[in-house]
Amino acid sequence: MDQPRPSLNRDDPVVITGAGMVSALGLSVAETWKALLDGACGIRPIEGFDAGGFPCRAAAQTRLDPEQDDLYPRWPRLTGLHSHLLHHATREAIRHSNLEQAAIPGEAIGFFVGMGMVDYRVEDLSSAVQSSLDTGGSLDLEQFYSKGYREIHPLWPLSMLNNISFCLVATQWNLRGENTVFSPHADSGAQALIEGVRTLHERKARVVLAGGVSEPVSPHSLARGLLQGMLSVETQRDSTPCRPFSSKRNGTILGEGCGMAALELRSHADARGASYPAMISGYGFAFESEGEGEGPTASAIARAMRDALHSADLAPEAIDVVIAHGDGTVRGDQNEMDAIRQMFAACLNRIRVYGSKGALGHLLAGAPAVDALIGAEMIREGIIPPTLPLAEEAGDLGLPYIRREPTKTRIEKVLVNCRNQEGQCVSLLLEKVEPHRQARGTIC
Amino acid sequence: MVTGYGMVTPLGRTAEATFERASRGESGIGYLTRFDTSGLPCRIGGEVDDAWLTGFADAKARRLEKFASRGAQLAVVAATEAARQAQLDAVGHRDRIGVALGSHGDNPTVEEMRFLHRFYDSNGRWDLKGLHDEGGYAYLQFFRRKPDVAMTLLAHLFACRGSTLSIVSACAAGAQAIGEACRIIREGRCDVMIAGGCEATLTFSGFVGFVLIKALAERYTAPEKASRPFDRKRNGFVMSEGAGIVVLEALDHARARGVSILGEVLGYGDSADAYRITDTHPRGEGAILAMKAALDDAGLTPREIDYINAHGTSTQQNDLAETLAVKEVFGGRAREVPVSSNKSMIGHTIAAAGAIECILTLMGMSRSLLLPTINYEFPDPKCDLDYVPNAARPLTHRIVLSNSFGFGGQNACLCLGAWEG
Repeated sequence: MDQPRPSLNRDDPVVITGAGMVSALGLSVAETWKALLDGACGIRPIEGFDAGGFPCRAAAQTRLDPEQDDLYPRWPRLTGLHSHLLHHATREAIRHSNLEQAAIPGEAIGFFVGMGMVDYRVEDLSSAVQSSLDTGGSLDLEQFYSKGYREIHPLWPLSMLNNISFCLVATQWNLRGENTVFSPHADSGAQALIEGVRTLHERKARVVLAGGVSEPVSPHSLARGLLQGMLSVETQRDSTPCRPFSSKRNGTILGEGCGMAALELRSHADARGASYPAMISGYGFAFESEGEGEGPTASAIARAMRDALHSADLAPEAIDVVIAHGDGTVRGDQNEMDAIRQMFAACLNRIRVYGSKGALGHLLAGAPAVDALIGAEMIREGIIPPTLPLAEEAGDLGLPYIRREPTKTRIEKVLVNCRNQEGQCVSLLLEKVEPHRQARGTIC
Repeated sequence: MVTGYGMVTPLGRTAEATFERASRGESGIGYLTRFDTSGLPCRIGGEVDDAWLTGFADAKARRLEKFASRGAQLAVVAATEAARQAQLDAVGHRDRIGVALGSHGDNPTVEEMRFLHRFYDSNGRWDLKGLHDEGGYAYLQFFRRKPDVAMTLLAHLFACRGSTLSIVSACAAGAQAIGEACRIIREGRCDVMIAGGCEATLTFSGFVGFVLIKALAERYTAPEKASRPFDRKRNGFVMSEGAGIVVLEALDHARARGVSILGEVLGYGDSADAYRITDTHPRGEGAILAMKAALDDAGLTPREIDYINAHGTSTQQNDLAETLAVKEVFGGRAREVPVSSNKSMIGHTIAAAGAIECILTLMGMSRSLLLPTINYEFPDPKCDLDYVPNAARPLTHRIVLSNSFGFGGQNACLCLGAWEG
């Protein structure tokens, strides 16, 4: 039966006027983009803690130094790495879109973020536990309940709230408008972007900052990924451990990072002379899973992509590039490629598929915004970075749609996919903005 | 349109039971029984009776039960009630049903922390082999802490294949989930949304955090007297657990299948204080923005509002700032608009509060009864609105606001309407 297919307003679409990014390959959009074009890989042996006991010992960690960051130096207990990632990328997006000069009141700026899981750090509680040990070295609960807990820093509870880094950054930049925090997986980062687009179309904000931030790579996040069966456990030093769509893929690798986009209606961007490479012109989502923790089915992924196209009144033939979720999991990548083949059956000879996770790792809630901003760069530059691993393999699922080398081509429409492990998937559609409608002051 | 609702609170296992007791001004607060509170400056809270957790009915559901934190189990109880009322089973297009839930996942227990600490030395090194050999940090515990598990469980149990959202905006989460769900329906992306919030943090590690930041009521003569919003002797909030779930539906869809309409979400607005992490803005600027945004969204003015369901936590800061915000938004009319706080009876159910209070407000409209603010004994000269003190008040009211303001400064406001048919 026919369902109503809502389409977004194309006369005054939501455009991307600013971008901020932190990843294992750089501390800005430009740095990350250049490294991606060079075919660099951000996945390295884990630093910062001894991961020797885990069967997965590699991750794509950022080089961001919180000591150099100016976010609430007085509040070290509250500021886990994810707070600094979010702060850093938000600042870049704000400056990139010249928001500070635009003098937009804080209550007219919306802020939507997909946030990775917040874990407690054992060191925050160690002293409380250690002061409550009995003579035999085990925890004396009575001692802990009556006295030991007082050793815990009074701000520790706040650092455990999922929304606290969001609120810190909102305070830092006086972002007082519409807001929501979604969590914890990749779909939540995409929902944040969608909610930002919806808020602008409903004219509930003049500008929106939206995106997502990963969890810090920690023993908790590593253990969680391993227990979920997501991670690649065969980290040979001479190969790329995260191999999206490769026949040798065996799981994903965690990445750290954050992507934040400044979004506004084109009329608003034009009025203040802001430039933009692309618009977010559609989105779709679906939820369906077969097994536990295996992610959405191929039909759900296809439905999300189809709804995204419908909301822009586009046919599959119009799409130039699909930025796949492609996290390197065996079943997940198979389902996604099945969905892509089904969806683009009529144009398989021209569709190109790209995946960033071989280079950046899996940023969970941070992944969709990073991929969307990579999509905007593709549209701007007309080039698709190489999908890692660089060498093709027999039985490669990606062939012939995935190129393991940089590909120059005309790119106007990009579909970005993401999913969680539970069965939710989301697709976002990016389109080049027609040149004759470009704002004054754009540097071409 | 709201076509179903359900809740489980310290006052009752259903929406009806909770409303009934609340209309008599009863308190659901008592001494905590589930963990040892000796030595803590606050020893009270609003626990939900374990007997009210129904478990999971069929075999497929039981398979999922092992993933369910207490918060998720509460959500399932509330959603089952709401789904039955809305006759959700009869909806054919499951692709067009979504879930939006405010939920934070469970905290690790002290026993789990103790276990982990055995494998962690003071130099920051993990004995990962030892941890692994002993079974690691329990697999299921990871799931109970993940904030999207309750939402995923609901999607599975009620066969929802539309959009699923998990929202973690602290005390504003329940109201934000309902607001975001409305936007998805309004945009035409889904016909039906299950929306609300759940919270179960009455464990030592969940509780002690709020003790440490001194947010909880510490001076009280009896547990049921501790939550006293807007009263001069208020001195902190009382933590509770619970869940509230509504079934939201597009008007045409509800009419086409002939299900009764229980009320209407007319508007939704949210804001951030961007002030301080630990403190509410002293003049309630974030609250003002949220209320104005909800009114704008509904296309209404303050003149048309008959009642305000307050956030009213019973902390010095919140209740004063909320009072000032109401005065700013309503001007000369502020004292004419009744304002009451359900938290005086239920306590603060954090991520569930916005949803529970939305439902109680809808029920009050359909029954023409304003629920009271109990424990209102000593008027605070700075809080001088009509708080519906101590006894429920019969009053026909059609259009209301329901406030939810969160830790960290996230604020949400829902504008609700009685359904005129």
